[in-house]
Amino acid sequence: MAYEPQYYPGKTKIAQNRRNHMNPNVELEKLREIPDDDIVKIMGQRQPGEDYKTVHPPLEEMDLPEDYVRDLVEPISGAKEGHRIRYIQFADSMYNAPAQPYDRARTYMWRFRGVDTGTLSGRQVIEMRESNLEEIAKNFCIDTAFYDPAVCGIRGATVHGHSLRLDENGLMFDALQRYVYDEKTGHVLYVKDQVGKPLDEPVDVGEPLSPEKLVEITTIYRKDNIPMREDTELIKVVKRIHRARTLGGYMPTEDTFKDL
Amino acid sequence: MESEKKLFLKALKEKFEEDPKEKYTKFYTFGGWKQSKRKREFVEHAKEIMEKRGGIPGYNPDIGVPLGQRKLMPYKLSGTDDIVEGDDLHFMNNAAIQQMWDDIRRTVIVGMDTGHAVLEKRLGVEVTPETINEYMETINHALPGGAVVQEHMVEVDPALAWDSYAKIFTGDDELADEIDKVFLIDINKLFPEEQAEQLKAAIGKKTYQVSRVPTLVGRVCDGGTIARWSAMQIGMSFITAYKLCAGEAAIADFSYAAKHADVISIGTALPARRSRGANEPGGIPFGILCDVVQTTRVSEDPIEQSLEVVATGAMLYDQIWLGAYMSGGVGFTQYATAAYTDDILDDFSYYGYDYVEKKYGINSTKPTMDVVEDIATEVTLYALEQYDEFPTLLEDHFGGSQRAAVAAAASGISVCMATGNSNAGVNGWYLSQILHKEYHSRLGFYGYDLQDQCGASNSLSIRNDEASPLELRGPNYPNYAMNVGHQGEYAGIAQAAHSARRDAFAMNPLIKIAFADPSLVFDFAHPRKECARGALREFEPAGERDPIIPAH
Repeated sequence: MAYEPQYYPGKTKIAQNRRNHMNPNVELEKLREIPDDDIVKIMGQRQPGEDYKTVHPPLEEMDLPEDYVRDLVEPISGAKEGHRIRYIQFADSMYNAPAQPYDRARTYMWRFRGVDTGTLSGRQVIEMRESNLEEIAKNFCIDTAFYDPAVCGIRGATVHGHSLRLDENGLMFDALQRYVYDEKTGHVLYVKDQVGKPLDEPVDVGEPLSPEKLVEITTIYRKDNIPMREDTELIKVVKRIHRARTLGGYMPTEDTFKDL
Repeated sequence: MESEKKLFLKALKEKFEEDPKEKYTKFYTFGGWKQSKRKREFVEHAKEIMEKRGGIPGYNPDIGVPLGQRKLMPYKLSGTDDIVEGDDLHFMNNAAIQQMWDDIRRTVIVGMDTGHAVLEKRLGVEVTPETINEYMETINHALPGGAVVQEHMVEVDPALAWDSYAKIFTGDDELADEIDKVFLIDINKLFPEEQAEQLKAAIGKKTYQVSRVPTLVGRVCDGGTIARWSAMQIGMSFITAYKLCAGEAAIADFSYAAKHADVISIGTALPARRSRGANEPGGIPFGILCDVVQTTRVSEDPIEQSLEVVATGAMLYDQIWLGAYMSGGVGFTQYATAAYTDDILDDFSYYGYDYVEKKYGINSTKPTMDVVEDIATEVTLYALEQYDEFPTLLEDHFGGSQRAAVAAAASGISVCMATGNSNAGVNGWYLSQILHKEYHSRLGFYGYDLQDQCGASNSLSIRNDEASPLELRGPNYPNYAMNVGHQGEYAGIAQAAHSARRDAFAMNPLIKIAFADPSLVFDFAHPRKECARGALREFEPAGERDPIIPAH
């Protein structure tokens, strides 16, 4: 019997939004078109147009020992080329940012190969071969409904803001003020790269989504939107996991799980 | 709980001076670090220091991250009315936190019965209340650094060691009656009657000495020194008080008893990879910390009793042990203080108390999975909903680790209130963590991905190498050894079980009695208040070197 991934439990809109993120067959709404070079500028690791730095020769040119895992696993393109590994890190506001840290981690793992990701409360990093990273940073992480210019921050260090109140323009706090609200256009402009180095010219990442839209697409439970209390299926699954871990302990037997 | 009755509201209003329910505010307008009186003072001090040391630069808040882009919040010590700056809760800036650890580290308990048996059965020397009083007078001369046997000895200036003394306690009321009151830790006077009876029943007729080695000794040397310093002075005092021969074989028995056989250290020695000896924070089990804290003697409120243990544990395990000994960092204070400031954990815990009191009664139900799940789920959801409802509360606990620690601690404490079972409580903690993770799709720092995801598997096991009763676990328990925001809370959960049961002690009655001593510098009945006094610079510590340095 073929395994049918369920992605995430829960009967609420929040649970469905989480499933939509994780399910690679769901195409997220494309909301903006940020030029490739602008993404590269915000990431701050390569000059636009500059060749990718490599850390080893192309795999084809390398004399590697035989290993059947190499026959089983197709390397991603950046690995084939020997590109170095770089990162992009996001901070997501608890005020209804579209993606949230564990949602990001699970989404990356479901949708992409060659990913190394780390999750904390205030930031979520993804590391990949640089060329592959830039591709998903643009096409998935920033151009789609996975991102909002006001309540998602691209931040390498001094990331804090996820839990703070929003500023008067609805932007998430950033001690380094990497992005600002342009009152003339109503757009958010990045004036510094992700580690806070000033950019030669601002990068426009577009208009913030409306609060109504954020409430529709967010993946965080909130009492003033969809409270977790309402998602009885999710709570039931979490309790089941807890009970299985507790009663299974170090000697799980089938009996342990029979009546869960 | 109705909105206006939330315990944390007073602190939030003081901290932010804005509507705690408002989601929008202004940032970047507070004047950076200059908004903080304490940081301005730091800058002044740094200027003086730079001049004194020939221009070598030091503290400069304009280096690195721009501090103060948002309001640098003050903190209200929970359970008090004292509001202090965050910097003043760092253990380096807080003499009370330092003394709390000094007083624990410099304490060693030594059983007297072996020594007395050697005197009576081997040497035929009579031991009476009078000889014990004479011995106590001698040890109170020797322990701070006075000579008793050799005639050409250097000694310690008593002004440096005013905090050093020895006392005695016993479960034998008749003997206690005849001991000079200045030497006696009087169980009957210091504890409520029911607790005194429990304690005396637990220790029997035995007699113990409590040695308080000078604070300075612990600071210059280490916790492993304390039992040795105490043992050396005990041996010398026995020789003097009982007129023994300094070289006779029986002295070896006193030494063995005082150094090994009858010694109760506060913390056990740690494995080599932790690089610490006995009586260091990493070796202090949670149950022992419960017994060090004395709120059970002075308050009948089981939540307050538990929260004072959480606070002491946060200071000791998070700020001092993990925050400095183990990591060398300076930032752990921010995590740790979340558990004892702004009445937030208090609010969550009292909510849980009310919930279990109505539904189950206190210490009135068996620790089943259903009970743990019900209570931990309700308290966790309540706690997290408060962060949704009050944006300034969320901003106060701006790190996920802070929120995870207090929501789970309140859950664990509440489970203990219903069941009186600490392992059920810690199981509730773990359920809280994984519920929290799905609620916010985030939890704490990486550490919360470790122990809090696998902890349920060992929370109801007491088999060797798999787990332990929570009271016997400690900072060096596998998986607990590296994560801030846990250990103080675990200790509080252990205390909660015993508070619900109205136990006089959690793990070791000797520790509970030894720290009931009113002569201690730090008041272990009110650790949060003491911490506030330290932050407000009202606390007078021991271990100062003024008598031997130029006037300043």
